Amino acid sequence: MQLLPQLAAYWPAQRTLIVADIHFGKAAAFRAQGIPVPHGTTTQNLAALDDLIGTHDVQCIIFLGDFLHARASHASATLDALRRWRARHASRLLVLVRGNHDAHAGDPPEDLNITAVDEPYELGEFSFCHHPHAHAQGYVVAGHLHPVYRLTTAGDSVRLPCFVFGALGGVLPSFGAFTGGFAITPQQSERIFVAAEDSVFEVPGNTAAIDSDIHL
Amino acid sequence: MAMTKKAAANEIEQELVSAQTPRQTVDAWFAERKWTVFAFQKEVWRAAMKGESGLLHATTGSGKTYAVWLAALQRAMLQDKKSKRKKSGLRVLWITPMRALAADTTRALEEPLPALMPSWSVGTRTGDTTSSERARQTKSLPPVLVTTPESLTLLLSKADAIDQFTSLDMLIVDEWHELMGSKRGVQTQLALARLRRWNPQLVVWGLSATLGNLQQAQDALLGVDDGIQKRTLVEGAIKKNILVDTLIPDNPSRFPWGGHLGIQMLQPVIAEIEQHATTLVFTNTRSQAEIWYQNMLNARPDWAGVIALHHGSLDKDVRAWVEQGLKSGQLKAVICTSSLDLGVDFLPVERVLQIGSAKGVARLLQRAGRSGHAPGRVSRVTMVPTNSLELLEAAAAKHAIAKRQVESRAVPNKPLDVLVQHLVTIALGGGFTSDDLYDEVRTAYAYRDLSREEWQWSLDFVARGGQSLTVYPEYRRVLPDEHGVYRVPDAAIARRHRMSIGTIVSDSSVQVKYMSGGLIGSVEESFISRMSKGDHFLFGGRILEFVRFHEMTAYVKRATGNRGAVPRWNGGKMPLSSELAHAVLDRLHEAAQHRYDGPEMQAIAPLLDLQQRWSGLPTGKCLLVELTSSREGQHLFMYPFAGRSVHIGLASLLAYRFGKHQAATFSISINDYGFELLSPGSATTAIDWKKLLKAPDASGLFSIENLLEDVLASLNAAELAQRRFREIARIAGLIFQGYPGQPKSNRQLQASSSLFFEVFRKHDAGNLLLTQAQREVLEQELELTRLRDTLLELQQRELKLHETKRATPFAFPLMVERFREKLSTEKLSDRVARMVRELEEAASKK
Repeated sequence: MQLLPQLAAYWPAQRTLIVADIHFGKAAAFRAQGIPVPHGTTTQNLAALDDLIGTHDVQCIIFLGDFLHARASHASATLDALRRWRARHASRLLVLVRGNHDAHAGDPPEDLNITAVDEPYELGEFSFCHHPHAHAQGYVVAGHLHPVYRLTTAGDSVRLPCFVFGALGGVLPSFGAFTGGFAITPQQSERIFVAAEDSVFEVPGNTAAIDSDIHL
Repeated sequence: MAMTKKAAANEIEQELVSAQTPRQTVDAWFAERKWTVFAFQKEVWRAAMKGESGLLHATTGSGKTYAVWLAALQRAMLQDKKSKRKKSGLRVLWITPMRALAADTTRALEEPLPALMPSWSVGTRTGDTTSSERARQTKSLPPVLVTTPESLTLLLSKADAIDQFTSLDMLIVDEWHELMGSKRGVQTQLALARLRRWNPQLVVWGLSATLGNLQQAQDALLGVDDGIQKRTLVEGAIKKNILVDTLIPDNPSRFPWGGHLGIQMLQPVIAEIEQHATTLVFTNTRSQAEIWYQNMLNARPDWAGVIALHHGSLDKDVRAWVEQGLKSGQLKAVICTSSLDLGVDFLPVERVLQIGSAKGVARLLQRAGRSGHAPGRVSRVTMVPTNSLELLEAAAAKHAIAKRQVESRAVPNKPLDVLVQHLVTIALGGGFTSDDLYDEVRTAYAYRDLSREEWQWSLDFVARGGQSLTVYPEYRRVLPDEHGVYRVPDAAIARRHRMSIGTIVSDSSVQVKYMSGGLIGSVEESFISRMSKGDHFLFGGRILEFVRFHEMTAYVKRATGNRGAVPRWNGGKMPLSSELAHAVLDRLHEAAQHRYDGPEMQAIAPLLDLQQRWSGLPTGKCLLVELTSSREGQHLFMYPFAGRSVHIGLASLLAYRFGKHQAATFSISINDYGFELLSPGSATTAIDWKKLLKAPDASGLFSIENLLEDVLASLNAAELAQRRFREIARIAGLIFQGYPGQPKSNRQLQASSSLFFEVFRKHDAGNLLLTQAQREVLEQELELTRLRDTLLELQQRELKLHETKRATPFAFPLMVERFREKLSTEKLSDRVARMVRELEEAASKK
């Protein structure tokens, strides 16, 4: 599986793109409560997906939960943009592994043709989930945490979105344009990969054993 | 007709009162107490009786309260005499900056009422007012109300607000100097603009300490002069004797350590406290207060119970207990922070000690004024330097105080976050039309230059959610009706807005409670998040053991032992004021000529001699630059003596201008005297400072050309703006802090200010709140005006370059400073790649 600096993962064998926590319609949900957030985050999300589809052979996209942010995210402008985007990618399989936000917001409208399933969604050696600690048979690939890591050296420090991989499972950073991050403190056995602009770097130090069957 | 004795007495008193003029009544009341009426009190009374507004200022000294309060009473007596029907409702509004002061103020105002205005009562309305009292006030406000800016704004958010204020005749703002420089002051200005609109004859008086810009302070309080009222600036005439001196350490170290808290001064401080009945010991930070209290108790266990700790993070009951102990004279000493700068005078206080430099002349004067209130005593403040260089500041402070060089306070310039909040408040408080409210807002001093475009933008922001060209069908906050009157249509939004009124933005804080119950106070969440079960920390003057964290509360128990982590509270350190900085440069100029006047300069002479031997002395004529290399890299030290906020801007600016030649990451360390730029690496890989400084175009480093562009382009400006945006986002209502008691409600509306900042930058770059964040960074954090002045001054100074073998006394505190700013002109991915490489190298060396 390849970790992409665009904050997604690509699985070439299955020609599958994996995206966590996109939170469509979050800005609309804020606006409905009288909090002004500018337009453009939905377009930005869709453009980012288009870029990845353009550079990788993508037959399937798995969304690791929190596809729609809230009930008020079923706003017509948001859904219309999603429908137009869906029409351009009509042949691709879209799978949503439901997350906690989806439970409140409800599944995407049927005409978006997204297969919504409860976690875990088993495929090959992986179990795709929203929650990192979900019980599953395979190696869990999840979202939910929006992990970021503070990379610190003697003279410098930056906060970056990151991928976290441990012995039993891994967590992807949040993909959505209007989503924040939560700083994580990695466990001993976890490997951290930070994304900066066009590159992904592994943070040295946490290189303890990971199940060798999993090729990251 | 049965009449009680008391009522009969009242009747007689009324009779007497009505036979005299109000002024005669008040004079008689003073005479009865054998008090003399001060000239400035007469001046305020005369002016107020003529319907004039004004500002009363004084360095220290009492009598200010009665000057304005008895003016209000005289006006009321006259009005009641003239009209047959007595007026009902609110007559006098008293605004205080701290709700903790409300109770004391109320007591002071009540004192003359039985004799002068027996039918009146004084009510309070602050965040502490009970809901039953609020409900009573909803029906009708008392004749006199003591309140805070926030509570006043809340009153204005009621749909029938205008009816509550119809009888209001006089309004007094206490401690205006404390409010005027902040957004709370702007909030007060907007509220006053509204009240003046309803009653153009409203008499408004402010009370203030002495400031460098009194005229502006008055304008900010009274609004743009419409010529309707005459305005008067009155000086409280009592120039009390103020004594300023310094506790000189026995052995001033030649190497001042920046982080040192000066505990070696503990014994001399204890000796001072011993000699006096009651002493206030001011520290500059809450952490410092905790440490000093703990050390003092360790040194003098017999003082347990007679010394106390007072700072803003302690629970209000704890603070009230300490204040009570001060008033009654039961406490020998209180270690405090600016939390005791304001408030009623504690008569028993004989001495004031200031630990560390006060950083400003006004602050030192204010603190001196906390002592010596008993008759025949002088106000005396004794400075306690916590490192050797503070002796220099002490010497400078004495000179500045002797010359009364007091700082000015800048008034915020049209902050749109406060305006945006105000628009929703007024939409709730009866609604508004665009033109009317625009005219009203522009009478507030802070918004005198508000353009039509800025107004329209703010209105669109609350009414449409953004730019007027975009349509957000789902957006609703404030909507106009068919007559163009803007109101809030949604009850949930109204409730959320009322909960969020105000401009005080605190860091995310966590309550600290004993397992057995009992609130101690609050600390910042980031501090508690690093604690594990069993860890000890120092708080509220006690060593506590952390037990568990649950729902924004840290549960603790008393611990044994005497060591523990000390919480740090965010809260900017005050920069050395320009007045004090220049006084320091004057002292250094004398020292450069080997003149050491006064005990402070005598004590620091060995340090300054060493500094001169190894390098030189920075003065008003000479800009000292030192270069030295260490294992960490190549250091450049520069000493402009312009205060820490200017130094941040200046260091970033220079790093950026240096970085134009060569992309690099700098580590910046600053203090009030100068700054250090560190370029990591060896002499061959790091920046060659000497070459850059000797280059023919080096004079351009201090140019004020492209100053704004260059400061903004330096990466830190964006980072600082993002930090600033936290406050703006909260005030403008983008971030909701939650209802009390349910901090985590409404998860779906959670987004951090940095996220808002990013989204606005990407999708709404013209958003004026972003512009404001940038402006606030420039004006307040980097003090751009002072930075420009400093650059002009530096151009006049002769640059003297010294290559030193090791850090000089001036360089040493900068070198060991642990909190450093970063400035990078590298591409992010290059920078991260370099960091990862460094970590790998470090790991392989182990």
